Amino acid sequence: MDTPYNPVIETHNLSKAYKEVQALQDLNLTVKEHSIFGFLGPNGAGKTTTIKILLGLIQPSGGRATIFGQDVQRNSVEIRKRTGYLAQDPRYYEHLTARQILVYTARFFYRGPKDLIEACVQEMLELVGLEDKADRPLRGFSGGERQRLGIAQAQVNYPDLLILDEPAASLDPMGRHDVLEVMEKLRKYTTIFYSTHILEDVQRVSDTVAILNRGKLIAEAPISELLAGDGCSAIYDVTLKSETAESITDAQGRVSGQPWVQNLSMAADDGLTRWQISVSDDAAAEDLLLRLILEDRSLKVKHFGRKTYNLEEVFLELVGKENSK
Amino acid sequence: MTVQTHPHETRDLRLAARQGLLPARGSGWLAGFGNLLGKELGEWFCTRRWLWQLLIWLIIIDGFVALLLFVLPVLASIMPALKPTAEAAFGGLPPEFGSVMMYFTMVGIAGTIGVIILAQDEIIQEKQSGTAAWTLSKPAARQAFILTKLLSNIGGALVFIVALPGLIALGEVFLATHQLVPLAPFLAGAGVVLLALIFYISLVILLGVLFASRGPVLGIAFAVMFGGTILKSFFPQILYVLPLSMDGIALMVMQGIPLPAMFISQVIAAAVLSIVFILVALWRFQHIEL
Repeated sequence: MDTPYNPVIETHNLSKAYKEVQALQDLNLTVKEHSIFGFLGPNGAGKTTTIKILLGLIQPSGGRATIFGQDVQRNSVEIRKRTGYLAQDPRYYEHLTARQILVYTARFFYRGPKDLIEACVQEMLELVGLEDKADRPLRGFSGGERQRLGIAQAQVNYPDLLILDEPAASLDPMGRHDVLEVMEKLRKYTTIFYSTHILEDVQRVSDTVAILNRGKLIAEAPISELLAGDGCSAIYDVTLKSETAESITDAQGRVSGQPWVQNLSMAADDGLTRWQISVSDDAAAEDLLLRLILEDRSLKVKHFGRKTYNLEEVFLELVGKENSK
Repeated sequence: MTVQTHPHETRDLRLAARQGLLPARGSGWLAGFGNLLGKELGEWFCTRRWLWQLLIWLIIIDGFVALLLFVLPVLASIMPALKPTAEAAFGGLPPEFGSVMMYFTMVGIAGTIGVIILAQDEIIQEKQSGTAAWTLSKPAARQAFILTKLLSNIGGALVFIVALPGLIALGEVFLATHQLVPLAPFLAGAGVVLLALIFYISLVILLGVLFASRGPVLGIAFAVMFGGTILKSFFPQILYVLPLSMDGIALMVMQGIPLPAMFISQVIAAAVLSIVFILVALWRFQHIEL
């Protein structure tokens, strides 16, 4: 029986090569049950390749992956019975209506009285707000409407795992907001694994994030850890007030002289002095930094704290580091 | 987008209602088979496609039979110069057999061209548009995907190219000659031309799996059909292997004429090659990246 923290997706050295291009390299991931797992990366990083391998649509060149403990190559159909998938650029049969698409999708999972299938489809149409367009052929649908239909068809079987490839990429801000809201609502029923390059969305809904670049995993951590800068160098923000410039200069000398201080940048603004101190030893900084500054009692510390990052900064720093290797 | 919030209780009730639904049948090769087949047959029979197909094949096949039975004799009576043409049109056979020969010939030529054109897009279109990837992200087996394409095309060809025009042709013969064509031998002959169509459908499905664009699919299929027809004059041995005389064989079967070894081999080869094409298509499609 599943425990609340069972891994739903596990990959072990998963790799994919196309002739001379290494699309995915030794990917090791663990996605826990009921998490919203954001799979981040620039275009061409290997996100869609990973998703397609997980769904059995393409085959890995090396390594293996399991979903619900089952091998994605050997038990693909069984896995897909418990999975919902929204493709990056979802394509359906254009001459069918949204309702027909959903009935067709539902019949891959269920059999039984037509009215129950219809009820199940109606529920999905309501979930994504497509009731009034349900009986129009798909060829007249906008990008946003297709995306909503995509979410409905992915959710039609109440999957244990929802895999979404760039679910909000083609949506306007309102549409994006709604998609994220649906994802948050579904969290308690399902595990969501989704790829995106919209960092703001990830920061809002994800609890765990993996960052992929050029086919390689460069970070995987709970979002709170990443935003705390665990993947980056620690930086402390200090705002000081002093009557004399000498006090500031002396304090700067005391701090800069420490072996664990890598860099100290200074800016003056409105009678205040702002420092950004980059440190190599976070523990030493936590213990000593404030004491060193306050050795001079004439200095007033208006703000002291470890800099918190936003995801964009973390992402850019990690990807930048990786690209410069 | 409007996202409606439902209380958990309501959701639980809806989930309970779903308990009236059972998990879909089919596993392994047959996962999703019923649903896929329903959709494919629906494309033939539940859209306007059936009407167009019916009209096209009735006009082409039964139109030629009618030309032979009703128009040519009238023209020959008006223009005596056409009389030898009208007599030769039945190939020296009694009119009821001569008309059925025309039916078999039209199914063999026009029907083959038709099934090649109709089936050429079945796999290619789905691969190119991404609908194959979408369908196969659901619990549907790749084998079921290919088999339902095959079966629906065979079903469409059977109904619209062989059965309904055949029925009408028999009616035309009766109207013109007041002779009933013996049904069982006719059905045996129709089975032979249907086998030729199955051969080409299987070939086109295989080519659709192997290639990424329509050009090679159409090119190779038509090369087999027309190239074979030209080549058989120079290398008659290919008649042991390729279904290039199936209309003639159908007529012989209907007339109860014993088949020479070459024709027996042709019928067996058409059946065996159709199976081989489909087995290769099934195997190859398992490894295709979507």
